[in-house]
Amino acid sequence: MNQEFELKLQAWVDGELPKREVSRLATEIERNPDAQALLAELKMTRGFLAGNEPEVVLPESREFYWSKIQREIERLERTPVEEPSIPWYLAVRRLLAPLSGLALVAFLSVLSINLFYQPDDPTRQLVETENLSEHVGSISYRSQSENMFVVYLYAKESESGDAEVDPEGAPVNDLFLQ
Amino acid sequence: MSGSLFYSRSFRALLLVALLASAAIGAGASELKLEAKLIWGTNDEKSPRKEHVPVDDATAARLRKVFKWKNYFICNTKTRVIPSRGSNQFKLSDDCTVEITELEGPRVELKVIGKGVPVHKSIKELRKGDWFVYCGDDKNESAWFVIIKDLDEK
Repeated sequence: MNQEFELKLQAWVDGELPKREVSRLATEIERNPDAQALLAELKMTRGFLAGNEPEVVLPESREFYWSKIQREIERLERTPVEEPSIPWYLAVRRLLAPLSGLALVAFLSVLSINLFYQPDDPTRQLVETENLSEHVGSISYRSQSENMFVVYLYAKESESGDAEVDPEGAPVNDLFLQ
Repeated sequence: MSGSLFYSRSFRALLLVALLASAAIGAGASELKLEAKLIWGTNDEKSPRKEHVPVDDATAARLRKVFKWKNYFICNTKTRVIPSRGSNQFKLSDDCTVEITELEGPRVELKVIGKGVPVHKSIKELRKGDWFVYCGDDKNESAWFVIIKDLDEK
């Protein structure tokens, strides 16, 4: 007796078995004592349930009953849920990652805009100067108070003591102001 | 887990922003905006040339602290952007040109060219507030000045 046969028996007891199978099933039950025992047990159980199953009757209408349940669910959803208090060290740890990122941004920004620049750094005062013309000399000096580096250009004296002149006859140091 | 994932994403985003910001700032720092002024210094009260404009009081006061002349007049002003590792020329008069090249670090090369001939070259760090001044004698106890300064805000 397999499970399919048992289900057919249960369907027969419940009156749900198609009529064309009823006669065949009855024949098999007659030949099978186990099936007869199961059939008797199922009929007994059905009799117990049909006679003793309690029937709950709602005191109000069905719609009103379910609307009360819906209102209660909505009320509970509106009630704020109290979050468990977080220890201070966990709260700090949560802020650690974004704060680290901000610190990195600030550090790189500071580095980029040269806030570490030292105005009195002696290396930044180094100047390379070079005369590119043999007719022009130069003297350079720095005014620390005025933050000014000056290169004074002058025409080198010729052997005769006169200022060098360019081919057009103008003094070399007069070339720049027209 | 969702919290740690959120913070992990935040951290990566901030790191990316930081890198992009530093790259952008670093890229902008190498470009220079410079101003060159050709100035005439004299003890006369007025310039014989009408196009000469007296310098502002602050500039005159600063020049008087270093040089002996009383009055200073602007002959020409040029503002140029010097590209990174590039050069630009400031033609201040028919015969005077200053060529400036941006070098590695905050240094620049300044070259004075007179009538097409290079006369002098300097390599110096130039920062906002600094003045680099070329000068020389002119006729009648006067003088000329080329003042180069950085206009970039660093």
